[in-house]
Amino acid sequence: MELLINLTVNGLATGMLIFLLASGLTLIFGLMSVLNFAHGGLFAWGAFSGVWFYTISGSFIIGILGAILTGIILGFITEKLIITPVYGNHVQQILITLGFMLVLAEMLKVVWGPNQIAAKVPSYLAGSWEFGDVLIIKYRLFIIIVGFVVFGIFQYMLQKTKIGLIVRAGVMDKDMVQSLGINIKRVFLYVFMAGAALAALSGVLFAPYSGVIYAEMGFEFAILAFIVVVIGGMGSFPGSLFAAILVGLAGSYMAYYVPALSLAVNMLLMAIVLIFRPQGLFTAKG
Amino acid sequence: MKNKFQWNNLFLAIIVIVLAVFPLVSDSRTWTILLTQIFIFSILAMSYDILLGYTGIVSFGHAMFFGMGAYTTAVMLKRMEPTIGVFILSIVCGMLLAALISFFIGLMTLRLKSHFFAMLTLAVSGLFLVLAEKWRTVTHGNDGFTFKAPEFFKDRMMFYFVTLICLVLVYLLLRRFVNSPFGRVLVAIRENEQRTKSLGFNTLHYKVIASVVAGVIASLAGSLYAVSLRFVNTSVLTMDITLDALLMTIIGGVGTLIGPIVGAGVIELAQHYLSGLAKEYPIFERWIIFFGIVYILAVIFFPRGIVGTVREKFWKRKTKTRPLGKEEVS
Amino acid sequence: MKTLLKVDGIHTHIGQYHILQGISFEAREGEVSVLLGRNGAGKTTTLKTIMGLTPASKGAVQFDGQEITKKATYTIANAGIGYVPEDQGIFGDLTVEENMKVAMRKEDEAAFARQDYVLGLFPDLKKFWKKDGGHLSGGQKQMLSMARAFVNDSKLLLIDEPSKGLAPIVVEKVMEAITEMKKSTTIVLVEQNFIMASRIGDRYTLIDDGETVHAGDMADLIRNEEIKRKYLGIG
Repeated sequence: MELLINLTVNGLATGMLIFLLASGLTLIFGLMSVLNFAHGGLFAWGAFSGVWFYTISGSFIIGILGAILTGIILGFITEKLIITPVYGNHVQQILITLGFMLVLAEMLKVVWGPNQIAAKVPSYLAGSWEFGDVLIIKYRLFIIIVGFVVFGIFQYMLQKTKIGLIVRAGVMDKDMVQSLGINIKRVFLYVFMAGAALAALSGVLFAPYSGVIYAEMGFEFAILAFIVVVIGGMGSFPGSLFAAILVGLAGSYMAYYVPALSLAVNMLLMAIVLIFRPQGLFTAKG
Repeated sequence: MKNKFQWNNLFLAIIVIVLAVFPLVSDSRTWTILLTQIFIFSILAMSYDILLGYTGIVSFGHAMFFGMGAYTTAVMLKRMEPTIGVFILSIVCGMLLAALISFFIGLMTLRLKSHFFAMLTLAVSGLFLVLAEKWRTVTHGNDGFTFKAPEFFKDRMMFYFVTLICLVLVYLLLRRFVNSPFGRVLVAIRENEQRTKSLGFNTLHYKVIASVVAGVIASLAGSLYAVSLRFVNTSVLTMDITLDALLMTIIGGVGTLIGPIVGAGVIELAQHYLSGLAKEYPIFERWIIFFGIVYILAVIFFPRGIVGTVREKFWKRKTKTRPLGKEEVS
Repeated sequence: MKTLLKVDGIHTHIGQYHILQGISFEAREGEVSVLLGRNGAGKTTTLKTIMGLTPASKGAVQFDGQEITKKATYTIANAGIGYVPEDQGIFGDLTVEENMKVAMRKEDEAAFARQDYVLGLFPDLKKFWKKDGGHLSGGQKQMLSMARAFVNDSKLLLIDEPSKGLAPIVVEKVMEAITEMKKSTTIVLVEQNFIMASRIGDRYTLIDDGETVHAGDMADLIRNEEIKRKYLGIG
């Protein structure tokens, strides 16, 4: 029982980090059918810049804010420089975003050196709570809470605010949205920046969770995020939460019970979904 | 037309002869090794061009076939005897394995839209990497293992010739392939898959075969690569290999076959010099950034790459290459 | 009467297909101009080209004295053109209310007054106010799409085949609404149903194979059996 709870908390925490990464990816894809292969790079930049802000200021909160700011700025640059020139051409988009991923990962090494960097959990989130036999690590719970709060905020925005409605409408039919007098490209820029901010947030939260950060982490996590986007359905925000938790939990249980298969399970899950239900479990299209 | 074709061939023949004579007149070990490396990566990049340049498929998992060849050859040479016979057998086995795997992956995934396919190949090749890392009894994981190359290759020059011959054969074979009626259908798929389908072609069938051909050739490159190093580890399965193939193809020129060879040369040479420079200026340790930037600029501004652009500018003829991707027709 | 929209010899390519090969017509203020022609003649593409969704490669579109040929779709819409596409373009996951909200550019009193007015024309929409757009019937979707285009103070409405696939009684309602809307705005209508078109149209433009072949007063066309037979297969 104790083990099960621990594995579940662990899986949920990982799932939330993947969700933060995947949610931006899925909205960007849903709105503009751009699959951003550089998204993992934004994640890694969030981690490195966040840890840097955290180290120099001594405050984890400032680290998080710094990471989000970095994400927003990089999101703006990426959208303007990388996505806009090849808008509408899928092959070019795939190639160019992958190239940018490469540049982002290498730039990390230029700025912070090629070695991995240690990241500590801030003192007030360190340690764990005991409930009888069950030990809950504070930081993991913190990640889970942040994940749900972000989900709540974004879900509220998507459901209740005008910009949210426009984003959802754009996912369904962007020509129509433009015909109603809305500059969808600007909306897309905002969504891209928000997605990048979420990726960066995910990165900075990941840093103390894993203890170390390294330039290649972007790639590894991006693959998980892609899997989530496929399983959850491209463009579906709740779908990405569901799929991220699924992937997180599956990874956590498998890592304990059948460690060799932990990554394979997710790939398999994705392959099955793609073959039998290529639109994903949730769909965003009306 | 015929005349130009012959001029082309003559030009290529001269280059091949120069390359063949080169090690006989120069005893630079560095150059022999560097050129061997270029030949091997040219083969890999050409195989990638079949997918990207001729069929318009973006695969992010090409390293898995390269790795398959490398591991098959390494394991067989280590477990059996390091003879030419085993070497050839291992190449054949690697190719068969690559053919089988690429066939099944292609069958399952090539129906999907471009980004799904790219993503899935990324994931599957990631799976192979994990497999190689975990299956330590055979692969020794990340540490890898060394093995003996056949006696015949003790002389670097011999191996140089073998790779050069392989390169020429693969080039001629692939050129035939892309100029065949089959190859023309591939180009039609690249230009407009929907229309090709409506003309009655089973495009999936063509795409699967293209990916099998690409996989098999990549496996050959992997086999040669392993022997050139007499060592193999999981790095042959990493994204870096796929990225190399991608950079070489894009920078050299997609859909030209010669382009990937030029790209392989440019990148390997530049890598060689830049890593030399890195000893003095540490910034050059990050040489991949320069390529990343050049690559991004190429995708935006020179989607035809070096060869495509040069052909367009100087030969003034209508080449079959088109910029990457196609207009979406609603 | 003032010319509100002037389409001057436009050519449009979609992919490698040359769809429009010289379309010209004018829409005068306060009138209903009908685009007629066979299936695939290029009527829908003409509307899309005016909206900037499939930009013209040649020719010019002028709206209200302004050149809008190369403008972005949203700019064209903001200049005062409302668009009701053939497939209605309803956001299926959004409720009727939310569909209207996305459409409303300025949420001011005037806009709400227009919304109330248009909901008066289509009481069904009021009834299904909280229902998802995707769950509406074909006729209700048509009404919602028209209401959405009308809620902004558009000088011109482009309506693409509003009667398509609807039951006769619903078509009747839609046509009544268009007649009503005509009082406050100019309309360009694509319509296959000639009886409907002739009832509400003031002017007509006949399109065939991507070209304008005839134009004039609707009243003249009603009398001209030859043209009707040749291009519309009726008469």
